[in-house]
Amino acid sequence: MDYIFKGFVEAISLLSSGHAETYSAIWVTLQVSSMSIVGSLVIGTPLGFLLGHTTFPGKAPLRVVVDTLLSFPTVVIGLLVYAFLTRRGPLGEFGLLFTLPGIAAGQIILGLPIVVAMTATAVENLDMRLKSTLLSLGAVPRQVLLTTLWEARFSVMLAAMAAYGRIVSEVGISMMVGGNIKWHTRTITTAIALETGKGEFSMGIALGIVLMLIAFAVNLSMCGIRKRVG
Amino acid sequence: MAQDTSKEPLLYRLEDIIQKYGGRAVLGIDSLAIASKSIIGLVGHNGSGKSTLLRILAFLEAPAQGKVFFQGKACCTRQDWVRRKVTLLPQEPYLLKRSVEANVAYGLRVRGEDNRPDKAREVLDMVGLCPEDFVRRSWHELSGGEAQRVALAARLILKPQVLLLDEPTTSLDAESTRRIKEASLAARTHWDTTLVVASHDMAWLESICDKILTLEGGRLTIS
Ligand SMILES: Nc1ncnc2c1ncn2[C@@H]1O[C@H](COP(=O)(O)OP(=O)(O)OP(=O)(O)O)[C@@H](O)[C@H]1O
Ligand SMILES: [Mg+2]
Repeated sequence: MDYIFKGFVEAISLLSSGHAETYSAIWVTLQVSSMSIVGSLVIGTPLGFLLGHTTFPGKAPLRVVVDTLLSFPTVVIGLLVYAFLTRRGPLGEFGLLFTLPGIAAGQIILGLPIVVAMTATAVENLDMRLKSTLLSLGAVPRQVLLTTLWEARFSVMLAAMAAYGRIVSEVGISMMVGGNIKWHTRTITTAIALETGKGEFSMGIALGIVLMLIAFAVNLSMCGIRKRVG
Repeated sequence: MAQDTSKEPLLYRLEDIIQKYGGRAVLGIDSLAIASKSIIGLVGHNGSGKSTLLRILAFLEAPAQGKVFFQGKACCTRQDWVRRKVTLLPQEPYLLKRSVEANVAYGLRVRGEDNRPDKAREVLDMVGLCPEDFVRRSWHELSGGEAQRVALAARLILKPQVLLLDEPTTSLDAESTRRIKEASLAARTHWDTTLVVASHDMAWLESICDKILTLEGGRLTIS
């Protein structure tokens, strides 16, 4: 048990002394997760809005598909993205394998179903009175659409938080598509996996603490937003 | 209060209106005329079709059958110009998730009209909400009666040609009720707004209305 306590003390000193390798992993994680969440939102919000706002034949099965994708295993996404990005793959010429945009591509696939499903549900759950209120205040259809999106903004933020929580904490995609290259594509989660495998607990614990702090911040803001959704 | 509106031109004419929900007819009006600048009361038991008629007059829902003429033209729900002359305060108003000021100014904003802050202040004053106290508040920081009055202010700011009020004073205390009544009458005094008011407050309707319509099971009865 002693080594855990020692690891914890060392972890604190790594964090407080600005240990370069530790902070490189943190920085890489922040960069790649920002790309991923922006990508997921830019693609996912309009899709979710369409899915929630319109009715068309085949909508119900499509929602089942989206809900199934919510539990898409990260290693399968990693495998797929790897297969596409590898030199022999269809997108191989872009040289995205073992790069941050490569990881982001995989993480966007991970975050997308969360954003789409939660946005669609949010739009479906908007108050029935909203549309008639807007029309009666003189809004034309385009303005009704825009205001409706804006009314759902807190739920979209919740979707963003949920997606972000899953994106920062995933390890499969980062490991397989990123390759865990020190100083380049080594993220918090892949670093923890590696260091623990080597029996080096202190850096793992330090990074674990940071990851928990990020998760805590995400959850805290979700609680704040949830009060508004009500 | 009642003015002689018999010489005013017709604003609305309804012909052979039938409205159905799920195959069940809930409203059937053979003919109805509403003169400009009049105040019309609408009474009837729960479920008699008051709200349904008001939504049709607001061009928010199209009748299953029949025609609604507005200023002599047959109009439908897809015509934005007519919806911009008519506004409905629903039975349970909905406020946007924004500040009181943004809620009140919404109708002017979508019209691309000048929405100087003093306009919002003016109508908040009309409904008896102290502007200094309320403009900055959020939608979730209001009591039910305050929210109702903010919703009315959001309609008054439009200086509408027609203001449709669906039980505007139910569940309000005496003071709020008085404010709402005064403000709706002020609309008619200042802007010649035509009012159609559904209410169970017979005494109020009798004191302000040019005509009171009674609905029974979706049909107008002569009164
Ligand atoms: N969306 C709807 N779907 C199905 N039936 C409806 C719907 N809205 C109203 N109805 C029915 O239409 C009839 C008229 O309803 P409406 O709301 O117009 O009555 P009302 O006179 O406004 O009643 P209240 O005094 O309770 O407000 C009622 O029988 C009601 O059950
Ligand atoms: Mg009603």
